[in-house]
This record gives sequence, structure tokens and C-alpha cells, in this order.
Amino acid sequence: MTPRTTADIAMERYAAGDDAAFGLVYDALAPRLYGYLLRQTRDRTRAEDLLQQTLLHIHRGRDRFIQGAEVTPWAFAIARRLLVDSLRRMGREVLTATGETDGPSELPAADDLVHARELAARVELVLARLPHSQRVAFELIKHEGLSVAEAAAVLGTTVAAVKLRAHRAYEALRGALGDVTGLEGGKP
Amino acid sequence: MNHPVSHASNGPPNGDLRARVIAAVRAEPVSPRLIGLRRRVLWGVLASGFWAVVSVAIGLPGLRGRPLAYVVSLGVAWLLVGAAATWAGVARGGSMLGRAAVWRITTAALTPLALLCTSLLLGAAWPETLTDNAAIGRHVLCVVGTVGFALGPLGVFVAMWRGSDPLAPRLTGAAIAAAAGAWGALAIELHCQFTSPFHVVVGHVLPVSLLALAGMYIGRRFLAIRS
Repeated sequence: MTPRTTADIAMERYAAGDDAAFGLVYDALAPRLYGYLLRQTRDRTRAEDLLQQTLLHIHRGRDRFIQGAEVTPWAFAIARRLLVDSLRRMGREVLTATGETDGPSELPAADDLVHARELAARVELVLARLPHSQRVAFELIKHEGLSVAEAAAVLGTTVAAVKLRAHRAYEALRGALGDVTGLEGGKP
Repeated sequence: MNHPVSHASNGPPNGDLRARVIAAVRAEPVSPRLIGLRRRVLWGVLASGFWAVVSVAIGLPGLRGRPLAYVVSLGVAWLLVGAAATWAGVARGGSMLGRAAVWRITTAALTPLALLCTSLLLGAAWPETLTDNAAIGRHVLCVVGTVGFALGPLGVFVAMWRGSDPLAPRLTGAAIAAAAGAWGALAIELHCQFTSPFHVVVGHVLPVSLLALAGMYIGRRFLAIRS
């Protein structure tokens, strides 16, 4: 059985009638969802708008929330659907993520920065060439920190399929970046 | 105005956004789960009432010249098909995202097939039911009746899933419409005197398939999450 997360417990309280628990739901989900949406849109205003819509949909699910259900995959699936709809409306392709959201703890040396940017550009290029299903599976697991089971739930597919997609994405990245990152022999 | 963001500047969402979200939530109150459950039970009762009223309006269920054992067997078989389709295609199965897509595809595809197979098997057991003199008007009447009886359950199922499927609303729509169609087929079966395979296929099973197809549109229109 999957252990209960803070978001699960908070949503359970909210569904049971504790109005104040929605703040806890927000605190548990918003940072991760916002990071995901910001990576995909690279636009703070749109990311915030999509985050607000996602949380409103979670709020609207209060009266039918299933006891014991996992909140995180549900929340990511809603966010992803709203994101895809938003991009469709704008007539744009999904932007591929390039990675880091956490600021560096100290300023890097100039050549390190150049190297990191080159590496990020190569990662972006490789991810952009991947089939959409592989790229999304890889991003949900590696960037958003979802478990394989959670990513499978978000994508509406099986655990085995997500493992395969993420593995293929990792193999493609390893093949393209192995010379500079020492990924040879590593594991996804 | 949009604010493009660089890689290193992605912080957490600001506190102002939290206040805005909380305010939006307060402006749109949603009942707790227990009240929602009571409301859904009420919908179910109303749908059953609708089913019963229409049933009485067109004449009480009866044998209408058919063998009692045949009618009971087919009624029980189609009741089980309807219950199984509802469980597999409508219930969320412990997840807010619903069951895996394969369950919904299976429900939409196999429900009409199960109705047909059980009907043929029971027809083989009671050979006198394999022929009748149903005219095209009776076929059409049963098509309309099956769809009409399915509307109650369909309304309840759509209300249960309304605006809440982020993954595959078309598949969900097809599955819940097929399940509703199974209940409609059961209802009309209890009233219909015609039992030949051709009539059962055209008048009772075909509308379930048509409902499943229409359910794809219903799903996209009513079940999908929208901004």
C-alpha cells in the first residue's frame, strides 16, 4: 500500500469537512505543481494561472473525493490537461524543459556556466527529438520527482509502459551526453 | 503582462497567489464528501424513479407470450451485464483518475457483445424464441425505448463524472454510455414480446453500441476538465 503523503492527508481532511485544510492542500501541492508548470511554460503569469485553475479543480472535486485516493497523480494529471489545453489554444508546441529550477547556492565560475548552458542546450535538443510519450514520462519522473506508479497514473497508462518510455529516454540521453556527463553505466 | 523566466530564477509561487487561490475557493463553495454522497444517492433514486415511471407508462413488465424461465434468465443475465458495466466503466475504482483506460475500452466494446451473446445462448436454450414476426416499426420502437430508458442512468453517470476527467474523457463517456445503455436494454427487454436474434440485435443491442459512440461526444463535451 502506498504511504499517505501530506497532500493525501490534507485532502482527506478537506473532503471530510475541514474547510481550513485547503490551505494545507495548497502548501503540499503548489510548489511542485508550480515548478512543473513553470518548466513547461517558462512564463510565471501563465504558470500561476494554470496553478490556480488546477487547485480550483481539486477544490471542485471535494464532494466526490474518494477516501484513500492519491492526490499527487490526480493533481499532476489535472495540471497537465490544463497545460495541454492552454498550449493548444495558443497554437504552440509544448516547450521542452531544460532542467534546473532551484537557484545555485553560490555563483559558478564563468566556464562552468558556459559548460552548463551548453549541456542544457544539448539536453533540450535530445529531449525535443524524443517521442512525446517518452519525453513526458522522463520529465515527470526525473524533473517532477513522481514515482513510476504516479507517472503512470498521470499519463493514464501502465507502470511497465512508463518504465519502458523513461528507460528509452534515458538511453537516448546517455547516448547523446555520455561523453560529457559520465552517464555511461548509470541508471535512470 | 507575461513574465518570461530564466532557469535560475524559478522560485516557489508567491504568497499573493496563495491568497488569491484561497479567496477563489471561498467564492465557490463545494460541499464536503458526505453531502456529495447524499446528493448522488438522491440522483440515483430520482433516476430509478424516472425509470419506473416510464416503465409503468408504457405498460408493466410482463411475459407477453414468452416462456417465464426465458424472461427471468435473460433479465438476470442482462442485470448482471448492466451491473458489471457500471462497476467497470463508471466506478472510479479507488482513484480520482478512474480505472485504467483498458477498463473503459473493454466496457464500451464488450457490453453490447455480452448482451448479444447472452441473448443468443438463451435463445438456443429456448428455440421457440428464435423466430417472431417483428416489423420494422417494432425494431424502431425498441431502439427508441432502449435509448429512452438509458437516459436516466446516463444522466446520473454524467453528473458523477462531470468536468472531472483529465485523462480520457471520450473513453469514459463511451464506457458510461454503454453501461447506461445496458440498463436501458434490460428495461425494454422486460417489456418487449419479440425475441428473434434479428430483433434483439437491431432493437436492443444496436442502440447500446450507438449510445457508446455518442458517449464519446458526451465525454468530450461534459466530462473533460476545462479551464
